[in-house]
Amino acid sequence: MIWKVFLFAWIAAGMLAGFLWAPVVPVLGATTRVFYFHFPAALVTTLAFGWSMVHSALYLARRDLTHDDHAAGAADLGLLFCVVATISGSMWARAMWGAYWNWDPRETSVFFLLLIYAAYLALRAAIDGETRRARLAAIYSCVAFVTVPFLIFVVPRIYFSLHPDPLFGRRGKPDIDPRIMLVAAWMFAGFTALFFWLLSLRVRLGRVERCALKGMA
Amino acid sequence: MSALPAREAVSAVATLSARELTHRYSPRRGLDPVSFDLAGPGVTAVTGPNGSGKSTLLRIVAGLLRPSGGSCVLACEGRELPARARRPAIGLAAPDLSFYEEFTVGENLSFAAEARGLDDPRGRVRESLERVGLLARAADRADALSSGMRQRLRLAFALLHQPPVLLLDEPGSHLDDDGRVMVARLVGEHAERGLVLIATNEEREKTLAGHAIQLRGRGVGDPA
Amino acid sequence: MPATRSSSAGAVWAILRKECRSEWRTRYGLNSALLFAVTTLTSISFVVGKIADRTDILAALLWIVLVFAALASLAHTFVREVEGHTMTMLRLVASPTAIALGKLGFNLLFLGVLEAVTVPLFLVLVGGPPLHWDRFLAVLGLGSVALAAAATLVGAVIAQTRGRGALFAAVSLPILLPVLAGAVSGTRGQWNGAPIGAELRLLGAYAAALLGASLILYDHLWEE
Repeated sequence: MIWKVFLFAWIAAGMLAGFLWAPVVPVLGATTRVFYFHFPAALVTTLAFGWSMVHSALYLARRDLTHDDHAAGAADLGLLFCVVATISGSMWARAMWGAYWNWDPRETSVFFLLLIYAAYLALRAAIDGETRRARLAAIYSCVAFVTVPFLIFVVPRIYFSLHPDPLFGRRGKPDIDPRIMLVAAWMFAGFTALFFWLLSLRVRLGRVERCALKGMA
Repeated sequence: MSALPAREAVSAVATLSARELTHRYSPRRGLDPVSFDLAGPGVTAVTGPNGSGKSTLLRIVAGLLRPSGGSCVLACEGRELPARARRPAIGLAAPDLSFYEEFTVGENLSFAAEARGLDDPRGRVRESLERVGLLARAADRADALSSGMRQRLRLAFALLHQPPVLLLDEPGSHLDDDGRVMVARLVGEHAERGLVLIATNEEREKTLAGHAIQLRGRGVGDPA
Repeated sequence: MPATRSSSAGAVWAILRKECRSEWRTRYGLNSALLFAVTTLTSISFVVGKIADRTDILAALLWIVLVFAALASLAHTFVREVEGHTMTMLRLVASPTAIALGKLGFNLLFLGVLEAVTVPLFLVLVGGPPLHWDRFLAVLGLGSVALAAAATLVGAVIAQTRGRGALFAAVSLPILLPVLAGAVSGTRGQWNGAPIGAELRLLGAYAAALLGASLILYDHLWEE
């Protein structure tokens, strides 16, 4: 209980610091603030994706349904963080470049991730039977794993050459004020903790459901 | 009736054992844990009320279904066969076994023989059809068969590759008296050289077996 | 057990022949795929008119038509088996890998026939400068292999679910995006005289990665 409160306090402190304490990047102006929301969400969604895939592979190797709980839970939460990242990124793009969507490489990668998550969850919803669902979803997850490196490296090559983006790389500037990086790291830690906490709830719920069904039998 | 052609002697040592073998489809449906040890040649019946998991057990033995718990070990000629390697050693005839409707009886079996990599596929198909009395219907499309003929086709399919282990799920279903006599004959012939498992509730089929594995619906099954 | 030749390659070949024969008998899949492609092309031609100079749009249109025609038809090899309840028979005579490769081979042939009709029709109806055939065929070939590999695997997964057409398209699309990107860019490049080495490498590498992953994953696909 105390940890939940601590976590919320942590994140709240981070948001406050982001708005009140950390400075603004000159080029970006007030839109810098989105960084504290958008960047951690994007990192966490990538983390969630990796977590889901690893557990999918583990399920196929070991057939322990806990791995499936992890895979499905991470996908659900990853989708949530992905939507957050996409929307916040889109709002930022509007403020910075005038258009909500530009198909620049990062936006495109996040969008593809969103598509894969959505497809994975749609697939799960269409399968009856616990073990069958776990198995087929895990197979799809492993196929998606093959796809991802291509999407991350294809996208810049194909689309970047079509739509050169003068602002690409701006977000990777090394000489950003350390206070900004601190708040960003703080928020990333907070979001990651939030993700794992929610995931643990989901996994426990899955285990309890299975035990309850066994008990009823 | 023509004499059966001489064939290479099949090593008869096939053993099948299960330890706490179980499978759950849902909380209320499945196979309760069962353990047994069988050694061929011989005939064993698998009996039990509806829903006790007879078909499930056969599917697990055939390597088609991965059980949710327990173990099932099949060994032929001393070599243990993991589930994915059981195909050549198993012949299964079950009610849910369907064939390609757009192909003839002969084409279905030829396909099976070719996919299995059998020598002389045509000869084996002929032989198999002869044994079940379907030779006259070899050129009929599978969708034109009556249910009794389909059952004979299933048996022909199971016997096609002379497997050491024969798994029959309700082999007499849809068959007339001649058909049941044929099944008894096939089982008898096969039992001289290999292991036969018959899942059934029919008294006539139970008597073909030397002993039985009894599956109980809501409890633990144990060998008779 | 009767003597058998090495059966893996034989099984793949037998399955491929069976698929071809089955398709020939029913002709359901090919007819609908061709009809889909023709209808789409004529609709595009009607609505857009001739756009001979816009090679970027032409390349995109061509591959969108091909991909969607493929999505409309490549799953049916597995769906037919599931709906006809013939998976049990298939799994009893061939390994999962052999089944997968056989179906993949068929899907590749199917795609080839579809493309042989669609591409010329596209050039006639929608337009486009003359093709540099060697470069175009390289892109088409590698793209088709990747397309078939992805669609076969996803089709095998989808065939076991409740959803069908729309779900298949939605679930395949993320997997197909690299193929679309590489193929469209490559097709445009061969028209514009740009180097397409990178696109060919992408398509080839992706096809290889998909095939490699498939060979491992197909073993887990059918366990019931």
